[in-house]
Amino acid sequence: MLVTALLTTLLMTDTVTLDRVRNLDEVLIVSNERGKRTRSVKGAVAGIDEHLGELRNVNLVRRGSYAWEPVVNNMQTERLSTTIDGMKIFYACTDKMDPVTSYVESGNLQSISLNSGLDGNPQATGNIGGSLDLKLRKVGFEADPRHVSLSAGHEWNGHLQVYGADAAFSSYRTYLNTGVFYRDADCYRVGGGELLNYSQFSKVNLFANAGLRLTDNDVLETTFIFDRATDVGYPALNMDVAKAQGLITSLSYKHLFGWASWETKAYYNHIIHIMDDTTRPDVLIHMDMPGDSWTTGLYSLLTTSVGQELQHDVAVNYDLYYNRLFADMTMYPGGAAPMYMVTWPDVGTLNTGLAVTDNVSVDSRQSLRLSAKVAWQNQRLNNQEGYNGQKVFFPLMTDHYYQTTGRIAASYQLSIFNSQFSIGTGWGSRAPTVTEAYGYYLNNTFDQYDYMGNPHLSNESAFELNSEFSILKSEFSVSLNSNVFLFKDYIIGRLDDRLSAMTVGAEGVKVYRNLDHATIANLSLTADWQITDRLTWNGKLGYSAGLDDEGDNLPLISPVAWRTQLQYGTGRVQTELEVRGNARQTNYAPKYGETQTESWNIVNLSVQYQVNSGISIRGGVENLFDKRYSAYSDWNNIPQKGRNVYLNLTIEL
Amino acid sequence: MDLKQSIMNIGKYLKFGAVALFGAVLSSCNSNDDLGKQEIEIPGITIDGDIDCCSAEEALQVYKFLQTVKIIPELSTVIDDKYNVFAYSKTGKFHGGYNDIYFVATKKKNGNYIKNFEISALKPIMLMVKMNMKHSTPVSAGVESFNKNYLAVKRGWVSFVMNTSDAGSWTLSYDYSVLGSDGTTGEQEIIVDALPDGQQWLKSFKAGDDTYYLSLVNPLDWSTGKNTITAFVSKKNTPATTPYGLAGEQFVIEIDPRMPDMGNHTSPDNIGLSRQSDGSYQGTVNLTMTGRWRIHLTVKDAQGNIVAGGDDLSDGYSSLYWEVTI
Repeated sequence: MLVTALLTTLLMTDTVTLDRVRNLDEVLIVSNERGKRTRSVKGAVAGIDEHLGELRNVNLVRRGSYAWEPVVNNMQTERLSTTIDGMKIFYACTDKMDPVTSYVESGNLQSISLNSGLDGNPQATGNIGGSLDLKLRKVGFEADPRHVSLSAGHEWNGHLQVYGADAAFSSYRTYLNTGVFYRDADCYRVGGGELLNYSQFSKVNLFANAGLRLTDNDVLETTFIFDRATDVGYPALNMDVAKAQGLITSLSYKHLFGWASWETKAYYNHIIHIMDDTTRPDVLIHMDMPGDSWTTGLYSLLTTSVGQELQHDVAVNYDLYYNRLFADMTMYPGGAAPMYMVTWPDVGTLNTGLAVTDNVSVDSRQSLRLSAKVAWQNQRLNNQEGYNGQKVFFPLMTDHYYQTTGRIAASYQLSIFNSQFSIGTGWGSRAPTVTEAYGYYLNNTFDQYDYMGNPHLSNESAFELNSEFSILKSEFSVSLNSNVFLFKDYIIGRLDDRLSAMTVGAEGVKVYRNLDHATIANLSLTADWQITDRLTWNGKLGYSAGLDDEGDNLPLISPVAWRTQLQYGTGRVQTELEVRGNARQTNYAPKYGETQTESWNIVNLSVQYQVNSGISIRGGVENLFDKRYSAYSDWNNIPQKGRNVYLNLTIEL
Repeated sequence: MDLKQSIMNIGKYLKFGAVALFGAVLSSCNSNDDLGKQEIEIPGITIDGDIDCCSAEEALQVYKFLQTVKIIPELSTVIDDKYNVFAYSKTGKFHGGYNDIYFVATKKKNGNYIKNFEISALKPIMLMVKMNMKHSTPVSAGVESFNKNYLAVKRGWVSFVMNTSDAGSWTLSYDYSVLGSDGTTGEQEIIVDALPDGQQWLKSFKAGDDTYYLSLVNPLDWSTGKNTITAFVSKKNTPATTPYGLAGEQFVIEIDPRMPDMGNHTSPDNIGLSRQSDGSYQGTVNLTMTGRWRIHLTVKDAQGNIVAGGDDLSDGYSSLYWEVTI
């Protein structure tokens, strides 16, 4: 993937401070010309899900108003890698109610970087669709000695309140930044005014990053994040969440050689996820469904530049992690004995990998990027009861498995005249996820089937081709972007009518299978026009397709989507008019239980006013015409927010 | 899972590590002690070389097994002031349906287990007070050793068709032959507790003029996953006071396990019960979770004709079923 295809959202205004030891992505964040535009109009107060939505190629699966699941190139969590500053972290909910991005807060982050496709960041494994890395906000050494920022936001629809405070201290030898954030929302009203029950949430987040410069060339850094969401409603699901709690910690050591920089980080994180159906009426059988995920690991990254005429920016990364996932379910039928099953059989995954990337600057007009990773994985089922249960379905299974996965990608970029051309290709594989391999009767409310993991699955692999062609003029640019993924052994659930559904009301049981082949392709056209000094326009049109081995549509593939923005800015005031929408979903997948989503368009208005260098106010109206709609990625077609007025205030001291 | 539990979980992992480490240290220490001869000591037993009795190793095995069961005082007896016969069950009590009964005989002088003795004629009798009527219940064909590691333990079984209540009470008697001393215990009153709700381990059916009983063996040994399902088919005698022996006819018992509380959820790959050489019926039952299961039954004769169950009630399942809650 070419460097320009690396997309980033800037969460912070202009206070991005670089560490002495940089990696390529971080350099790109500041130099990214798109930076200003790909920031959420709501500023830092916006939720992390809203920031994710600003990334190109990203859609979000919404099960409520909290914890949206990022979809990159029309691929969900299982085909993506998500890391936090290179740290592996895995969600703890068998129903995917807690994508790992929900365990951080925008205020914890400096940026989110996305590598599209198989060219992942060095720590990424299993990234076919792309890899997200959430880059933590570190004030760094020799920044402002003291800096305090306060933020507050209110959204009238759903009475969302956001409060944040953080402080940073920096010197030549040490730095510390720490903050606390709070979000709380009631249920929101959908277009037309109807209240959507169970769409509330509440969240508290604490973080601290600290650094100590031991010598001029040696740095010690540590991270601590505690994040707890409580009373989170999921209107698209049958149950809510009582508590979703993440603890994320790390300690890293960086050394600067004359010729290279070397970072080694050890980390630990633990997620506890507790579902709750006690507030729902008409619950047939009350259930307890806790999940637990903990991960510990390390990576060691060496980056260097070599060569004179042909300059190579090389990064070599070794990583190792051990993750453990356990989930169980206790059901309480009225009067009768409780029923118990293990849904994730305490799966221990030990994974280690070696990655290399090389950016070659051939000359001022041409560049080449190569990346490769190979990873080995050992999985063990530590819970005997869960293992025995699954063995009923797979009598030949064992309690441990080994997998080898890898990826390799290359891309070439050429700039001539006023145009830029790039082409890339890659191949990569991923091991089945714990849900796909060992999940036990996991009910999927999307298609109303119970899903059984299949320990005999083969690794899924994909061959990717991508290209970008841009015409860049001073006041106008247009770019055509395309990629196609040709899958082998694509993993998806298929009906097994031999099996009987467990969940009351479920249609049947699906077992994960390898499809011989499948295809996902994405095409997007973007244009930017600087109409006058103050007026700019941009537009984007996207088309996607996903087909299984029989030529039928895959589920959750975006319909034709567009987004256009007209921006008018004077020095202190920035205003924006945005229209976004989807065409009627014609490429939906009834075979996989998907229902058709109608077309929609909404209009958003926003204004930003910079009172002085320290104070800025952002306000706006989303869904101006109070349209009732749901996007294709809204789980069970739950409607989106109706008209929403917001006002956000940021104070920097 | 709350924080406390998660801390406990971490603790568990740490403990696992600690145990592994500790184990390694222990085993390395133990290697020095291999030469030291260790005396086997069993509480209450003197190993005096009596040839009627177990060796130290055999006695230890028996003793260990007996730790897993509980004595039934009312069925234990003293013979000629020389020997004791002790009867055991899993809980020291009886319940409706199938019950294993274990017997050992000991010498009073050394407390050691006697290798060769015989128990026979297990005879349970229910006296139904109001009707002044007596009947028996299914019993095992005999009382035999069942495990080569502790041959001095003998096992039989009784499957009670009803529990003790105001309507009637149970007695049980058996004959013994211990080193030449023969006799009978006579009718001893026993209490048969009702099974809790969600447990129905004995069912009957009529075929022609005959009544048959289906006794499900120890279903509480089951767990989530694949389980061997064992049962006995017994036939009612005339007169009814003669204990009901195993039916001579050969049946096939098809099973359909369902969870009534989960919309009659079932599991795949269950194998019906067929008769084994020891007279029991065995098959495979797969349980996808714990909770209440109904094992719906279709009983067929050797020709494949349905003789019981297999009727689809309004819920679509056979009215003949065992119910097990694990």
